[in-house]
Amino acid sequence: MRWFFLILAIASSAIALALGPRGTKFSSPPFMLFPDMDNQQIVKPQKPSEFFENGQGARKPVEGTVPLGLEFPTGKSAPTTPLDFSRGDSYYDTGRFGDYFGKGFPEEVKVDGAFLERGKQRFAITCSPCHGTSGNGHGAVSKYWLLPPTANLLDARVKKMPEGQIFSTITHGQGLMGPYNGILAVKDRWAIIAYLRALQNASGK
Amino acid sequence: MGNIFPRWTNLLAIKILVGLMALGTCVVAVAWYSWTPKHTRVGYMPEQPIPFDHSLHAGQLGMDCRYCHSQVENSPHSNLPAAQVCWNCHGPGKAKADSPKLELLRQAMDVNYEGYTGKPIEWVQVHKVPDYAHFTHQAHVNRGVSCAECHGRVDQMPVVVHEKPLSMSWCLECHRDPGKSLRPLDEITNLAWKAEDLDSKAFYAYLAEKMETSVSKLEKADEGKKWDRELIGAHLQKAWSVHPPQDCASCHY
Repeated sequence: MRWFFLILAIASSAIALALGPRGTKFSSPPFMLFPDMDNQQIVKPQKPSEFFENGQGARKPVEGTVPLGLEFPTGKSAPTTPLDFSRGDSYYDTGRFGDYFGKGFPEEVKVDGAFLERGKQRFAITCSPCHGTSGNGHGAVSKYWLLPPTANLLDARVKKMPEGQIFSTITHGQGLMGPYNGILAVKDRWAIIAYLRALQNASGK
Repeated sequence: MGNIFPRWTNLLAIKILVGLMALGTCVVAVAWYSWTPKHTRVGYMPEQPIPFDHSLHAGQLGMDCRYCHSQVENSPHSNLPAAQVCWNCHGPGKAKADSPKLELLRQAMDVNYEGYTGKPIEWVQVHKVPDYAHFTHQAHVNRGVSCAECHGRVDQMPVVVHEKPLSMSWCLECHRDPGKSLRPLDEITNLAWKAEDLDSKAFYAYLAEKMETSVSKLEKADEGKKWDRELIGAHLQKAWSVHPPQDCASCHY
């Protein structure tokens, strides 16, 4: 009888402890009891897909594709969605009039308090890591930079730069700075420029 | 005629019964404890192709979550950054350009690199809800639910680990009582935010404007109440009229 209880106790605790406590760190994919519909054979954002030859679920638009909602060819394009990315060759989309950088803000944007607030927020997110919250080029990341210092945006050089050129710099990058057209919508780029102008005015130089 | 069954068999039936009951109870207990996302998902810490350190980028450098996860406010899916975004800081001549850890990034981005393949980096997804449940990031972050509510203090994680269960009951806990998970909109990506640090004057001014009432009225109503998460959340819930849906079809569609 003694043996019986002993063996029983050992067997039960072995079962109870087999799977370990909650919150243990592990790196193999999580166990799923009924995985049937948890992982469906559908194309998901940023996920691979065996269906396509190159294994990517996301498809690149075929060459010459015109984005939905774009009037083509275009002189002007109105921002229609919050996610507007460059979709034309207007000043609003490129910062250029033909071969020249334009000065001032395009008529598609209205520079007001809310617009500046938006610019401030986006500047803090996207620009300030390198250029600093005040734009002086001493952001937290730039301290880890081994090579040339980040541009001081309060400099007379940037102050004199036409808005269109700043737009183009944000869009395509300049020198060591990479392009930010993928993560900043067109309108946000203009908002950042508007906020940058405010910073430059406030710096008083 | 002697006994057909020896003496020890007298208790055998009872022993088998007791044994099965005890072991069965154990199995049920283990299933109850372990076959839940609290056990199967919490603690998931997969190895990433590039050992990206959130505690360095988001913690030490103080970069905003939205620098990389740039579309989280506009999309149900919180995007992983394109390799270009990494490349903007880790390209040639820039931070840690020669680090062996960034080999895959160079292969993906550097056209002049001998090992260039142009293949995207295959990050491993850590947080996932089943495909029949639709979670939208956009709706949550634009209504005062911080990243930290579901992902924990990622800014302190060298390797991202699944911290919350993301189970249905866990979702519902918050959908039934959202107040305690809300915070002001400009603090969404400030994972270290503490309710106690919130400036009450500015907060009341914001509320008064939003709810078309006066600051003094609001302050009077709150007299003697503790300035904490619950109070702030309750105000925000009212000001934004946050009513999270609880019917099946709000997530399972």
